[in-house]
Amino acid sequence: MVVITTKKPVDEVLNVLKENNVKKIFIVSCGVCAALCQTGGEDGLNEWKEILEKEGFEIVNGLVVDDVCDNREMAKVLRKNSEDIEKIDAFVTLSCGLGVQSIVETTSKKYPSMKVFVTNNTEFMGMTERIGRFYMRCLGCGDCLLNETGGICPITTCAKALMNGPCGGMVDGKCEVGNYERDCGWVLIYNRLKAIDRLDLFSKLRDARDWSESGHQREVVFR
Amino acid sequence: MGEKKIYSKLGEVIAKGDFVLTGELEPEKTCDLSHTIQEAKEMAPYVVAANVTDSPLGIVTINSMAVSHIIQKETGLECVWQLTVRDVNKLGIAGMIMGGHALGLRNILSLTGDHPNMGDMPESKPVFDLDSATLIKLVREMVDKGSINGHEIEHPPTLHVGGAANPNADPMEAEILKIGRKAEAGAEFIQTQVVYDIDRTIEFLKGIQKYKVPVMLGIFPMKSYGMAKGFDMFVPGVDVPKDILAKWKSVKTDITDKKEQKNVYDQLNYEFFKPFISELKSKNLLAGVHCMAVHYTRIFPKLVEVIGA
Ligand code: SF4
Ligand code: SF4
Repeated sequence: MVVITTKKPVDEVLNVLKENNVKKIFIVSCGVCAALCQTGGEDGLNEWKEILEKEGFEIVNGLVVDDVCDNREMAKVLRKNSEDIEKIDAFVTLSCGLGVQSIVETTSKKYPSMKVFVTNNTEFMGMTERIGRFYMRCLGCGDCLLNETGGICPITTCAKALMNGPCGGMVDGKCEVGNYERDCGWVLIYNRLKAIDRLDLFSKLRDARDWSESGHQREVVFR
Repeated sequence: MGEKKIYSKLGEVIAKGDFVLTGELEPEKTCDLSHTIQEAKEMAPYVVAANVTDSPLGIVTINSMAVSHIIQKETGLECVWQLTVRDVNKLGIAGMIMGGHALGLRNILSLTGDHPNMGDMPESKPVFDLDSATLIKLVREMVDKGSINGHEIEHPPTLHVGGAANPNADPMEAEILKIGRKAEAGAEFIQTQVVYDIDRTIEFLKGIQKYKVPVMLGIFPMKSYGMAKGFDMFVPGVDVPKDILAKWKSVKTDITDKKEQKNVYDQLNYEFFKPFISELKSKNLLAGVHCMAVHYTRIFPKLVEVIGA
């Protein structure tokens, strides 16, 4: 699993830094998911160093960190680099939204006025076909249906996340959304269930999804 | 609808087993309903009820619940309120169902609705909290049990609910099994997508016969060659047969007198739909016909005769 990110337009990032009066920067670049998506890693770090320096920002430090999204890892990085952190106005983060928030959460106690910015848009949890081809196949809905749908997720492969598809928008196995170029998720489910001789599962009337646990802040706490 | 309670004229006619003809009204992006009211008045003597569409193709129009109410009030024509799950969540829809009842609406056609992405507000959030089957189930709980999620409704709504089917769907088996789910959810009638292919239609109707839900077949009499061509080009998944297109085209090119042209178009429609419908009727596959020919109300007086409604 990879959290898929894409690059924000450079100007958008530069504008937000200028608007926030940022001059001295610490860059944190994700060495895992963002590196794979070519939005972070060593290359991303060098690219942003160059861009920011050219625009007159001072890069106090720049690091590739393996688990930006892991509070423990970030806390360690921050401890080791406290001298540099004292000097900066902001972090610029080449990661997903989790990485950014991990930095906010780990710095905000010691440096309440520290600003943290992000260069990427976070797209989805992705399945990798190859580098540069990632697909959303799970939304983390909290109540996985794959055992009932032949291993194909209706939440992500159906444009309407229907529980009882296909809808009237299906034409020759394709979905109305996206100009009939993508497969209709419910036809994929039908084909799979037919292949494994479980059309009984396809015929089942499914209740609407229960949002009572997942329609708001979520956390997993078991210790 | 068997021994069940009857809440509407449509419910009554279906229960009696009389052949039903329903029409369709497509209100637009406007607050002035005079055209829609006019069409409703024109079709009222010939149809049992008329569907009122709910922002078809995801293109936003005036709200179908409001229009259904106004049409019923202004013209006396009973409406089938098309309700999609596209833009309102379960909580909102439950409220609307009570509101619809209070406004005098007695028939709902449950639809998924076209994705906002297809229409003129693509930035709008797609909701789809329910789907077309679970909406049917919700209506039936509210009506039959007088509750929502097990919570009692002080004065429950009384209305009928039906669903849609697409005989053109491929794979057909998936569509048939889906109708089974709608039947299980409690659909009291089915209205189909427009069909032209008789063999496919027979195969499909036979496939869903076991669910014992009365079916109204969707037809689209074509007012002109332009209409026929437009329908063929722009309605996904339904092809107007080539020979029909050719016939309609020849009317346009060969007949110059406009009045005569109209007559011939009408005639061609009767000639096509008469044997089509009577074959399905003779096989006991139909409860009625749902005619979606919008802005073509002059077809109704004769259409009623032709299909024997
Ligand atoms: S049903 Fe789909 S979105 Fe939900 S957990 Fe399973 S794969 Fe993920
Ligand atoms: S066509 Fe298929 S994938 Fe697309 S919205 Fe309908 S059921 Fe979902």
